[in-house]
Amino acid sequence: MKKRILAIGLTLCMIAGMVLTGCGGSSGGSSGGGDGKVVKLGFLSPITGANAAEGAAARNAFKLAIDQANESGDFDYTIEVIEIDDKSDPSTGVAGAQKIVSDPDVVAATGHWNSGVAEATIPVFKEAEIPMLIWGAIASDLTSEENYPWITRSAPTDVQENVPLAKAVLDDMGYEKVFIISDTTSYGQGNSKAFKAELADRGLKEVGFEEVQEGTVDFRAILTKVKSSGADCVYWGGVVTEGSLLKQQMFEEGVDALFCGISGNYSEDFLKIPAEAAEGALVVKPGIVLESTEGGKKFIEDYEAAGFSEPIGAYTPYAYTAAEILLQALKECGDDVTPEAMRDAIKDGKFDGIMGTTTFDKIGQTELVAAYLNVVQDGKWTVYDDSEYADGTRKFPGK
Amino acid sequence: MSRFGNLLMSAILCGCTYTLVAIGYCLFFGVLDVVVFCCGDIAIFGAFSITGAFTIIWSAGVFQAVPMIVAVLILLVVASILCAVLGLITYRISVKPFEKSSALMPLLSTIALGVVIKEVLGLIFQPVVNNIAKGVVRVDDPKTVVGGRNPQSMPQLIATGGSTLTRNLIIIIVVALILMALFFFLNKTKLGLSMQAISQNKELALMTGVNVKSCIRWTFIIGGVLLAIGGFLLGNYQTIIRFDGGTMYGTKGFAAAVVGGLKSTWGAVIGGMLLGFVEVFTAGLIPGGTKFQNVIAFIVVIIFIVFKPEGIIGEKVAEKV
Repeated sequence: MKKRILAIGLTLCMIAGMVLTGCGGSSGGSSGGGDGKVVKLGFLSPITGANAAEGAAARNAFKLAIDQANESGDFDYTIEVIEIDDKSDPSTGVAGAQKIVSDPDVVAATGHWNSGVAEATIPVFKEAEIPMLIWGAIASDLTSEENYPWITRSAPTDVQENVPLAKAVLDDMGYEKVFIISDTTSYGQGNSKAFKAELADRGLKEVGFEEVQEGTVDFRAILTKVKSSGADCVYWGGVVTEGSLLKQQMFEEGVDALFCGISGNYSEDFLKIPAEAAEGALVVKPGIVLESTEGGKKFIEDYEAAGFSEPIGAYTPYAYTAAEILLQALKECGDDVTPEAMRDAIKDGKFDGIMGTTTFDKIGQTELVAAYLNVVQDGKWTVYDDSEYADGTRKFPGK
Repeated sequence: MSRFGNLLMSAILCGCTYTLVAIGYCLFFGVLDVVVFCCGDIAIFGAFSITGAFTIIWSAGVFQAVPMIVAVLILLVVASILCAVLGLITYRISVKPFEKSSALMPLLSTIALGVVIKEVLGLIFQPVVNNIAKGVVRVDDPKTVVGGRNPQSMPQLIATGGSTLTRNLIIIIVVALILMALFFFLNKTKLGLSMQAISQNKELALMTGVNVKSCIRWTFIIGGVLLAIGGFLLGNYQTIIRFDGGTMYGTKGFAAAVVGGLKSTWGAVIGGMLLGFVEVFTAGLIPGGTKFQNVIAFIVVIIFIVFKPEGIIGEKVAEKV
């Protein structure tokens, strides 16, 4: 009997506790515009693990934008960021997404550099009805009719990136014997599929196709195949982690072929290999030359002034752009900031940022696609148009 | 070189890298009967020590002042000492406390320690190296060090400026020399023989006057030094090292050790080479086979565990009832 009373008592206490805290929360909310009001945004990226360099730089850029917004005084509330390290791992990403959606103050989230992780967390955000803007994952099927309007994306897809690369390599430079190597992730498979389609459009077929596991360090066996296939161009469909090793080993094994790939390879980490090995790697990078615009210059200055230890990577400006989009959407919502209002503000909005003006198409994919070529020259990434390769002083291998 | 020659060379080198880690497993398992799972991470720690020490002595100008071979020896000594200390720490905090408990405990605790080594390396590598360069050596503008989580370029110290073939041959020769030295040590020196005695029967060794405690400590020191050299060779072969590379080498090295028989160093060599050959030839000869190289390699491992659980070189032990 005593135990029963105790149990009932405890239950009552708990209910009372819940009601009281609930009241506290709503009174804080209704006071509106007070100093204590907080709006939260989720941010997911790989801050540790294999893709830490890109993920941490993106996190820095995102927080930089939010800090600037908080300091500007444009908002009646404080914007807080729930920062999640997805470790490039889908299950870690899902756990992080659940943490974000379970917080009642969260109105929107932006996430993911790895397409595989984004694929895993999209259902979580859709179910919780929290709009998620993808800032860096580029597998083309992430934005779709089924995922619209909760899922939108401010980065161009892999297909969108392969078009300018294929045009440059196949049409302008005239390479025909392409050996495709990619990793087995959805990013790698998406790329190899997209590049194969580009080849097929021109009536060509790849001379060889190999897929490697993520984390592969030894490509020497594949390179014997590349050599015997007579390829004059190696298309790498993965990211910098393995790409730099592939380029290095192509140099060591004396493979006379162009190395090309998309933006996942554009990173300072690529230059960790000796300069003579990295020489002539051709990589397409979405976006604009940051140094060429006022906004871009300011971003570089601000980023450097903040003293982050990670250098700006290929996708760092995209994370900043994602922050700009969310901030402008917050402004559009005015005082009534809810996930639904944010969803509508994002999908219908027109956003000016450092990359240009972003608008979304009917499945939530950005319509802002700009890309330019980069080449490694003397151990540095150089914009192709400014390089000695463009004016003919140097020649790509395989030609 | 012909295509086959290229593949053969890659296979041997791949095998060498697995072998060195596998020998670490064998040494520890030999004297303790426990699997010390952080061998791969200790080797990567060794490679990072080399990079860090290189940055510091390069910034201080020592590297340029002495002949290359002396400089390399200094680096190896530094890395060996650090790895030996890490070996001792491994023993002290994640093996010794569980001496009396089941063999699963040290297995788990060394896996955990491996994660700690990896993550700490990623976090503190840059500040530690920078501060030593600035504070101790007093260089104002040291060679730049990138964050530990980024890939580190390994200083190319073997056959600098020469062909990659020379470098590869030197790596193979050094591995062979290490194996011979280890063989000599285990069979001809008192310490080595004591280690073998402990490996065969710990109680009997204790009764015949072998100092088991110091012997175990020495095993961890020697294992640490061996893994440091392993990390050095690995880094020079791959040219880039990553803080989380140890997990892969640890798993492959362990697989190689199991295939070889866990207690035998020659078994580790055979296991490492087998794994290397299967991987490289799967990738090199089967069209589109690269994505299956790990699958096939581990299927071979499973086949060995099923049909020859005692390993290629390993005595059958009849369980006494």
